[in-house]
Amino acid sequence: MIRTVITLLTHDLAVAFKSKTLYLVICIPLFVYATLTLVDPPGARVAPLNIALLQTESYAPVFLASIKSVPDMFAVRWVSNHEAAIKLLNERVMDGILTPDVGDASRLQLTVVKQASAETLIMMQRLAALQISAEGKGPGWIAAVKSLQTSSIKRQTLPTWILMMVLLVSFIVLPSQVAEEKEKQLLLGWMQTPVREIEWLASKLAYGIVLMLTAVVALQWMDGESFCVHGVSYLVMLCTGGFCFGALGICLGLLCRNQASARTLGVLCYLPLLLPAALSDMSQELRGIAPLVPSYHFYEPIRAMLLDDSGFAFYIQSWMSLVAIGLLACFASHRLIQKRWLM
Amino acid sequence: MVSVQAIQDVHLDIHQISKVYPGNRGLLGASFSVVQGELIAIVGHNGAGKSTLLKLLANWLNPDGGQVSVQGVNLRERLALVRKVGFVPESPNLHDAFSVDYNLMLFARLFGVPASRVEDTLQEFKLIPFRRSPVRTLSKGLKQRVSIGRSLLADPPILLLDEPTSALDFETTKDIYRLIHRIHALGKTILFTSHRPEEIKSLATRILVLHEGVVAFDGAPDAYFQSAFYQTLYV
Repeated sequence: MIRTVITLLTHDLAVAFKSKTLYLVICIPLFVYATLTLVDPPGARVAPLNIALLQTESYAPVFLASIKSVPDMFAVRWVSNHEAAIKLLNERVMDGILTPDVGDASRLQLTVVKQASAETLIMMQRLAALQISAEGKGPGWIAAVKSLQTSSIKRQTLPTWILMMVLLVSFIVLPSQVAEEKEKQLLLGWMQTPVREIEWLASKLAYGIVLMLTAVVALQWMDGESFCVHGVSYLVMLCTGGFCFGALGICLGLLCRNQASARTLGVLCYLPLLLPAALSDMSQELRGIAPLVPSYHFYEPIRAMLLDDSGFAFYIQSWMSLVAIGLLACFASHRLIQKRWLM
Repeated sequence: MVSVQAIQDVHLDIHQISKVYPGNRGLLGASFSVVQGELIAIVGHNGAGKSTLLKLLANWLNPDGGQVSVQGVNLRERLALVRKVGFVPESPNLHDAFSVDYNLMLFARLFGVPASRVEDTLQEFKLIPFRRSPVRTLSKGLKQRVSIGRSLLADPPILLLDEPTSALDFETTKDIYRLIHRIHALGKTILFTSHRPEEIKSLATRILVLHEGVVAFDGAPDAYFQSAFYQTLYV
């Protein structure tokens, strides 16, 4: 009996190796470990927080002397005006802006992206400690904390859910369906009709975009959130993301011999594309490498449009890179069909 | 000297077509011509290149070399070729989850043929009682009938059948033979691969033997059944 079980087990492992399931089991923990190491590096000292001060405002000399005396806690940058500082804050170059408080000019107002964030909490703790060491007990320097993002948690997490749905359709649904068409020779069946390769590709891309848009509309409708201030730009960005990742998913499906391989490779692509972009808000290290991942060029504009009310003009470069990647994937897919790759 | 009529009647002209797989297997350079109305059996051992030849003619595979002309159309002109060649693979590549009607209508739409042609096909292939049944619930014989019917929707002059009766029972096999005879009587040129001597005897008007990737015999059934090739293959 044991011998039979071992024989069957060996066979199952061989199947897992053939269908690349073993890669999944090994690569995903590795990838999660690498990502979380970047989010929370072991033994790393806490990085200085980037604080913007305005050249147009006057600050108390004791405050300026104190904050400049602790470069390991705060990196101070003088910015010409309030608009420029907000732009830097939106781009996550700065962690906070300090301006004289409107009600009490001797105290300060701190502007941050999110009020309920670890960075804001650390900033408040450091400023309080600095104030006590400089002045002893007295009224705190910070009179008020203002947040750029005033939306609900539902709204704030919406870009991550959207990215998740787009990648799910692109790398789990589409490759599997394309590989199924290959495996069952249905794709060759289409090639026995006057359907052009490009028409088949276009239909698959349109199918992916329809699924993604349905998921996004359902997400927003169930959340009860308003669509977006920049509705057309938002829609263009969603469709562009759908096109780019859909094309990559189709290409992946065409590279695989069967559905099992397509599903495994789909998951292997899904997580590396999802995590760095979705976690880029949580760590400066991840923010540094996230632009190298194509999904970041979809996530960041969507996030900015939904949460910061930014327009499309800021993200032309991201849009162009998504279109370029999509076109390259379409070209590769076209060649794979023409070559009847693994069919 | 070849007559003008014979040149006009040539449906298929194959010259040194090859598709080589690792280990020097596959089709190594086959040449022959087919005239209208022929019913050709392609026979040979497993791995001789029979299915590869049909798949090349159906554009399922890209050839490594050689020339093929189907009524003057080159093999690379796929969009023109699909209206000239119908192909029925050994395992029907139908959309299993959908009905017979749906499968036929889908291809009719893609070929731009009227819906009445689907009705005619259902009648002709005795599929009316099964028209609403999902394909996955049909027997292999019925699936084969749907597959042949679908391949003839655009009325191609040439039909390629890859082992049309493999894994079918005696009655269903007879049924498929009758169907092939009926299609042939409509003036279609048919090429089919087979391992069954009785099938070859009952259907073929000409026999091609493929051996190690080349045409080793090309002649009439009578000559074939008296030849050494038949003795080697089946006796």
